[in-house]
Amino acid sequence: MKVQILDKNDVSVRLLIEGSNAAFMNALRRIIISEVPTMAVDDVVIIENSSALQDEFLAHRIGLMPLKTDLDTYNLPENCACKSEFGCNLCRASLILDVEAENHTITTYSGDFKSENPSITPVSEKIPLAKLAPSQKIRLEAYARLGKGKEHARWQPVSMCAYKYMPIITVNTKLCDLCGDCIKMCPRNILVKKGEKLEVRNTTDCTICQDCVDACQKTPKAIEVKWDENTFIFRLESTGALTPKRIVSEALNILDEKLTDLQSQLKGK
Amino acid sequence: MIVPVRCFTCGKVIGDKWENFATRVKEGEDAGRVLDDLGVERYCCRRMLLSHIEIIDEIIKFYEARETKQMKPS
Repeated sequence: MKVQILDKNDVSVRLLIEGSNAAFMNALRRIIISEVPTMAVDDVVIIENSSALQDEFLAHRIGLMPLKTDLDTYNLPENCACKSEFGCNLCRASLILDVEAENHTITTYSGDFKSENPSITPVSEKIPLAKLAPSQKIRLEAYARLGKGKEHARWQPVSMCAYKYMPIITVNTKLCDLCGDCIKMCPRNILVKKGEKLEVRNTTDCTICQDCVDACQKTPKAIEVKWDENTFIFRLESTGALTPKRIVSEALNILDEKLTDLQSQLKGK
Repeated sequence: MIVPVRCFTCGKVIGDKWENFATRVKEGEDAGRVLDDLGVERYCCRRMLLSHIEIIDEIIKFYEARETKQMKPS
C-alpha cells in the first residue's frame, strides 16, 4: 500500500491510497465515523435559566458544541478504573457557564465556558448558545465525557469522511475532433482544450459522472472514463476535536485491536 | 429560533460562522461569495446559513420591553 497526501490543512486532509481495496477503505471510514472517541458534553445541570430558550434546547446546543479532545489523559467511561456512574477525573471534565445580561441584551458564546481542565475547551469560541435580554441569567454546569459516534452524532470526530475510486480518463486522439461538447458538460472543469489536443487536468477532482462520455457524439466514443479499483482518494474533514492525523491513526489502532481480538478468540476455540 | 450549532445533514459546525455571514450579507456582499470565503463548501451547510432567520431577535424584544417598562413579574 502506498499513501500520498494530496492536500491538507488544520481540519481536513485528502489522501491518495494505492494498492488497497474497497473493503478496507470502508472499514476505515466506518471506524472513523462510529468508533473513534471524542469529547462532548453529556450531562448538563441547570441551576438557573431565565433565558427565552428552554433548558433542554440549551442543553442540546451545549452537547453539539465540539470540544478539544485529549485522548491520552481521558478514558472512555466504560473502560475507566473508577467504575463509577458519576465518573472521575480521568473520565469526566466539567465546564461552567455563568452569565447574566445586566443593562443590555447580550449573546452567550461557547467561549464563555470556564473549564475545569484548560485543555478541554470548545473548538470554536464563537458558537452562539443563547441571547439574553437585560436581567436574564444562565447558570449551569456541563459534564463532558468521551463517547463514540455510534452512540450519538455529537461524538463523531468528523463532519465528512468519504472515499472514491481514482478516475482514469483516456482521450482517443484519432477519433476526437475537438468539438468541445465534453468540455462544456464537465461539472468539475477537468477537460481543457490545449492547442490541437484535449487535455485532462486535476484528474482527482473527477466524480466519474460520465457526462463527458454521454456528450461525445462520436461512435465509438472518443473519450473514456474508467476507474482504478485498487486506488482511492480518501477525504476527511474533522470537527476540530482531533487532528485529521490523529483520527486516522486512532481508527487504525481500533481496527487493529478488533482484529487481534478476533484472532485470539479464534485461537482459543 | 437561534442559529443551529451544526449542519443538520453533515454535522459541520456552522453556528460560529453565522454572525460574520449575517453582517457581511447585510452590508451588501454576495451571499455565495461570503460562504465560499467562510469555507462553507457543501450545499447542505450552505442552506443552513442561507435560509436561517434569527427569530430570537424578535422574541427578545418583548423581554427588553418588559425590563425597560419596569413591568417585571413579581
